[in-house]
Amino acid sequence: MQYTTEPYHPHQFIDAEGALTMSLPQALQEPELLQSLYRHMVLTRTFDQRVVALQRTGQMGTYASCLGQEAIGTGIGYALADTDVFVPYYRDQATQLARGVSLQKQMQYWGGDEWGNYFEGIAHEDFPNCVPIATQVTHAAGIASAIKIRNQKRCALVTCGEGATSRGDFYESINLAGVWQLPVVVVVNNNQWAISVSRQIQTGANTIAQKAVAAGIEGFQVDGNDVCAVFDAVQYATKKAHQGKGATLIEAVSYRLGDHTTADDATRYRSHEEVNEAWKKEPVKRLQSYLHQIDAWDESREQALISESKKSVEEAVQAYLKLPKQPVTDLFDYLYEELPPALLTQKNKALAKQTTAQRGE
Amino acid sequence: MKYFKLPDLGEGLQEAEIVEWHIKPGDPVETGQTLVSVETAKAIVDIPAPQDGIIAACFGKEGDLIHTGEPLLEFQGEEQEDSGTVVGKMETSQARSEREQFIIGSAYKAAPAVPLATPAIRALAKRLKVDINHITGTGNHHMITSDDVERAARLTEDLGEATPLRGVRRSMARNMAKAHAEVVKVTIQDDVDVEHWQQGEDITMRLVRAMGRACTQEPTLNAWYDNENDSLRLIEKVDLGIAVDTPDGLFVPVLRNITTRTQDDLRDGLTRIRADVKKRTIPPREMSGATITLSNYGTIAGRYGNPVVMPPMVAILGAGKIYPCVISHADGFASHRFMPLSLSFDHRVVTGGEAARFLRAVMDDLAE
Amino acid sequence: MGMHESPDNLKLSNDAPDNVTAHIVTMIEAINLALHRAMIADENVVVLGEDVANNGGVFRATIGLKDRFGCKRVMDTPLAETLIAGISVGMAAQNLRPVAEIQFMGFIYATLEHMVSHAARLRNRTRGRLHCPMVLRAPYGGGIHAPEHHSESTEALFAHIPGLRVVIPSSPTRAYGLLLSAIEDPDPVVFLEPKRIYRMVKQEIYDDGVGLPLDTCYTLRQGSDITLISWGALIHETLQAAATLEQQGISAEVIDVATISPLDTDTLVSSVEKTGHCVVIQEAARHCGVAAEIIASLNELAFNALKAPPARVAGYDIPMPYFRREDDYLPNVGDIVNAAKATLMTSGERS
Repeated sequence: MQYTTEPYHPHQFIDAEGALTMSLPQALQEPELLQSLYRHMVLTRTFDQRVVALQRTGQMGTYASCLGQEAIGTGIGYALADTDVFVPYYRDQATQLARGVSLQKQMQYWGGDEWGNYFEGIAHEDFPNCVPIATQVTHAAGIASAIKIRNQKRCALVTCGEGATSRGDFYESINLAGVWQLPVVVVVNNNQWAISVSRQIQTGANTIAQKAVAAGIEGFQVDGNDVCAVFDAVQYATKKAHQGKGATLIEAVSYRLGDHTTADDATRYRSHEEVNEAWKKEPVKRLQSYLHQIDAWDESREQALISESKKSVEEAVQAYLKLPKQPVTDLFDYLYEELPPALLTQKNKALAKQTTAQRGE
Repeated sequence: MKYFKLPDLGEGLQEAEIVEWHIKPGDPVETGQTLVSVETAKAIVDIPAPQDGIIAACFGKEGDLIHTGEPLLEFQGEEQEDSGTVVGKMETSQARSEREQFIIGSAYKAAPAVPLATPAIRALAKRLKVDINHITGTGNHHMITSDDVERAARLTEDLGEATPLRGVRRSMARNMAKAHAEVVKVTIQDDVDVEHWQQGEDITMRLVRAMGRACTQEPTLNAWYDNENDSLRLIEKVDLGIAVDTPDGLFVPVLRNITTRTQDDLRDGLTRIRADVKKRTIPPREMSGATITLSNYGTIAGRYGNPVVMPPMVAILGAGKIYPCVISHADGFASHRFMPLSLSFDHRVVTGGEAARFLRAVMDDLAE
Repeated sequence: MGMHESPDNLKLSNDAPDNVTAHIVTMIEAINLALHRAMIADENVVVLGEDVANNGGVFRATIGLKDRFGCKRVMDTPLAETLIAGISVGMAAQNLRPVAEIQFMGFIYATLEHMVSHAARLRNRTRGRLHCPMVLRAPYGGGIHAPEHHSESTEALFAHIPGLRVVIPSSPTRAYGLLLSAIEDPDPVVFLEPKRIYRMVKQEIYDDGVGLPLDTCYTLRQGSDITLISWGALIHETLQAAATLEQQGISAEVIDVATISPLDTDTLVSSVEKTGHCVVIQEAARHCGVAAEIIASLNELAFNALKAPPARVAGYDIPMPYFRREDDYLPNVGDIVNAAKATLMTSGERS
């Protein structure tokens, strides 16, 4: 399949109504895989909405919802090899879940505990969520450099929003990816909104994908709400990187159905009509529709999935709510490999202060 | 420089054609000597040598075009000049090349050498004219408090300035304390009848003679004890330390060899010593090495004493003031003059018997 | 006169650490030796930056490395300081040991985001799962009559950041030893090289691969009347001032801080408890410079031993002037001597 074409248009297999626009590649013709992708998106959404609700009841910190963008995270998570390194921004719940970062662990991060970044298993080299915009793209370029220096058959995959593509780190990183032929895949979640700044005023370029031209790397668009398109594109790009054939920029076109974070109120800057229109193209319903068409889904399985998802999420929430605060000494013990003497005094002070406070209760 | 490049010929001219080489590889050149003639769009220009040297190679033949900044020729034997700086001007090394000496961390872990006091306390001490170095702190970690300073000030006000001990007095304070700490001192006392002594008898000389005799008889009291090694050195020579009181304090000059010299010689020696002490011209070596000491405090006052044994010596004889005493006599009662004697000894190495016999010998000699 | 020795003089015949052959080197040559040594010892050590590979670095710090270790370990990056720091974080997280060069401290500010937000925090925020063993090297400080922005002394910016180490050598010996230790350290180090003394002094060192400890000060000269504390190029002026003071009957102790952060207060306190007086000397601007931290710490820990307030000799709170007036800005030997004598006069120990 040829990816880069001009003029750019997003690659797509399944349209908004759930109809096939292009024949699916071999791997995606397996109903089990499609069902698995579907289940993953539903679980992600269930989790996502539950966390938003927790925040509204004061049991969770500020949280960035991925509502409407589950296909991007799921497609990436399923296409990445176990040995690839994933470098997220902060809307990658679906990918993290696919790579073994449990729902409870993810809540631990958003709930304000560094131990939420302590990943194990497949994700043990993955970077944690990144708040300073676009800086993670540079980290991914560094990871890819290390992979290249060591001649390994793996790659780094990094995500960012379309707003991040305005920042220096983004350009510097894809520029390096081009000149050093780095095994890095940059997936831009173009969900049309960077808080209140719309895509139209973010950049004068017609597409994000074409910024790849300036960097000398391949770039193209996919329909970010078509999990099959995302999956296939990421497979293509990661395989290309494993083969030492260089970097790829994938612009996944989507829409941010939720607020930027729970601290944002999107109704201040966008219309209901626009959001309603966007809901018609959302990813979960379209795959469900396609699954029904190929007789790979039904109402009873839907109900079972909904209740299963709710149950998994609830278990995770209960476990999260029971988590004790980490010991105050943890705040000091992981700053350096060995705690310098000057900090030991401070650590003891913090410990003493906590002990006194506890006794005072 | 290694490579001489075509210099800027001015007026925006970027290139020139080589017209004629005036030198060839192997030629020595001097600064200013014409190397090559080149033709620009405007004129023929002679390029002079920028330095003395020998030409290694020429780049370009006659008729070739060469641009500003391109190498014209190479000098022999030069290092490629490398400024390695890109901006500015960097000072280069002198030839110094020692191995650097330094200490990692602190030079010492000792306790503070300065008395601990906050600046406010120091200022208070200054104001009250109290020397902070002489105050013992009673605060935490021996810190000097304002009470300490005020107390010291009041003391000085009420009782006058305390003078720090110096010189001889300071030595005495230190030595006496040390002696007291080390020595196991016992003193035995007795009186000897000196009625028979003539007027003007030289008491000190009599005591010197007596001590010499006693040392010969009881040599253990003429010795040095090294308590760290538990060793006793019996000394044949008797060098008698004689305590001398001066306005400056206690001096103990040494009268050497009292058992072998004649009395006249000893007397002259003693006179000389006294004079030197008075004039403060006595050298330190004349005050060291005593093997036993005599303290004739009786010249002033006092009968019996407990003189201090000064290590490494093991004995000291104190002679008190001669006093009249009524004694019973074969013919009735009589008043005789007696001299009290106090012999202190270090009981770690001298026995009571040895000490008593020594005293007996002294008394016998004095009674002659 | 040639200003650097060619790499052949510095190469060893069999790559083994050598504590027998003395190399008489300047600071920049010592840094080069240390880089060669570190790259031999650990294949994960890589060097990156602008002009570091083919050109050997604009100050020749990295000369000979590319020829010896190849272009996969010695990399010329595009002109992008943010990138240099950011990819170092990524490489370090993959257990490479990147030694990244920023050409001048004036251009280091673009790296602040990655150093502060990421390098300093990676170990902490992943609770030790990932860590960042990188070194960011830069020539720093003034005194070479350079154009503007090439004479910065803003080490305080980095010193303030928990999770970073800031190390500043003041001699070829300490440059060699401290750089080796910085490269071996499992956490990020900002290694600032005082360019004014890059070539000023030659010392005898052995390429024995032995590092000097970080997190400790160095006592360069013992004394009993006053403690002079400094780092970087001004150590030289400080030592000269101590010699001048000696001639005037004042015995000065000179301490090289070396690791600015974390600070070894024990050594500084021991010295001040002995002398009761101190002067801290920095080239950087006075306000919120490292001297302020040192003096605050001395006040907390050694107040009662101080006989006079600790004094500071520092640059003015102005940008480094253009070079014609550079010497009016930089502290000199006279400034240090005067500050020392004034301190002793305050306590009354000298009149």
